[in-house]
Amino acid sequence: MQSNGFISSQEDPALSGDGRKLALIVDRNGRATVQLTDLRSGRVLPLRFLSRHQPHTSPSLSWNGRYLAVITQRGNRRQVVIEDLLSSRFHQFPTLHHRVPIRVSLAPDAGSLALQFAENGQWRVELIDLTGKLELDQPAGALRRTSDIRE
Amino acid sequence: MIMITRYLTQPAFLRFFSFFSCIGLASCMGGSIRPMPELSGLISQPTRSYREPALGNKWLATLVNHQGKEKIQLVDLRGKRIVGLPGLNRSDSQPISVSVSADGQRLAFVRQRADQTELLLYRRELGTLQRLEVSPKGVPRRVSLDGAGRILAVQVSRNGGWDVDVIRLSAF
Repeated sequence: MQSNGFISSQEDPALSGDGRKLALIVDRNGRATVQLTDLRSGRVLPLRFLSRHQPHTSPSLSWNGRYLAVITQRGNRRQVVIEDLLSSRFHQFPTLHHRVPIRVSLAPDAGSLALQFAENGQWRVELIDLTGKLELDQPAGALRRTSDIRE
Repeated sequence: MIMITRYLTQPAFLRFFSFFSCIGLASCMGGSIRPMPELSGLISQPTRSYREPALGNKWLATLVNHQGKEKIQLVDLRGKRIVGLPGLNRSDSQPISVSVSADGQRLAFVRQRADQTELLLYRRELGTLQRLEVSPKGVPRRVSLDGAGRILAVQVSRNGGWDVDVIRLSAF
């Protein structure tokens, strides 16, 4: 859409489990960049670690929007990363066997992750168990720690 | 009644930059990634191709291609079984994107059928399939459902650009 000289480019939407936050990919100075918005206020939320390593693709949010998973470009590698907006931590997530991640989906409770990659000419999906790696992000009142985060 | 709110990005949003670096606060999970091989048989049949994964808490929706035909598959991760989706997949349509609610009861998806691209909501408990209209008109591409399955965000091709619409399914 042409509006004030700006062609609309909003792609790859991902809602938080509670429906209050929306992550999407926008064109920021020609670079596909993830953007997180609070839908109630319309305010764009600051992301501490995700202003670099574009292009970003396939954002995914946990229940309260605490965790934002996205695929980034680091050097010549595509890599899944997770920003923890509550603790201001950033988790890099190299894939096994040098697989190139194509899509990522974070479970609403942040207990697992699904990755799409290519293998032998076919699309494959692998599930990764995150319990013990991240605190669960559950509906209000249900937040609990399953185990310490390992760094 | 479907309430549709169009989510608009303001140009000012694009001027936001973060100048923080991640030095000292980044962790790497590379040495401790734990795949879930007990579920691999459900999502890694060698003659099938799997793409567009979408997780609920204990549910995984994917698009599965077998012998050139693609369909939506839902896996119950707790019960380690593929769940039937009667009335959802059609031989004359091609699924494009899928999303599942946290409890696995609702699936939103985009499919191509004949010359139409449709946005639909499937409710497992009722076995019903409902087409959702995109307004203003546009072509849906990718969909995301919230945990309760009552709000969805959909990427729409409209007037030569990509928009994201947020649709509140208030009466369902």
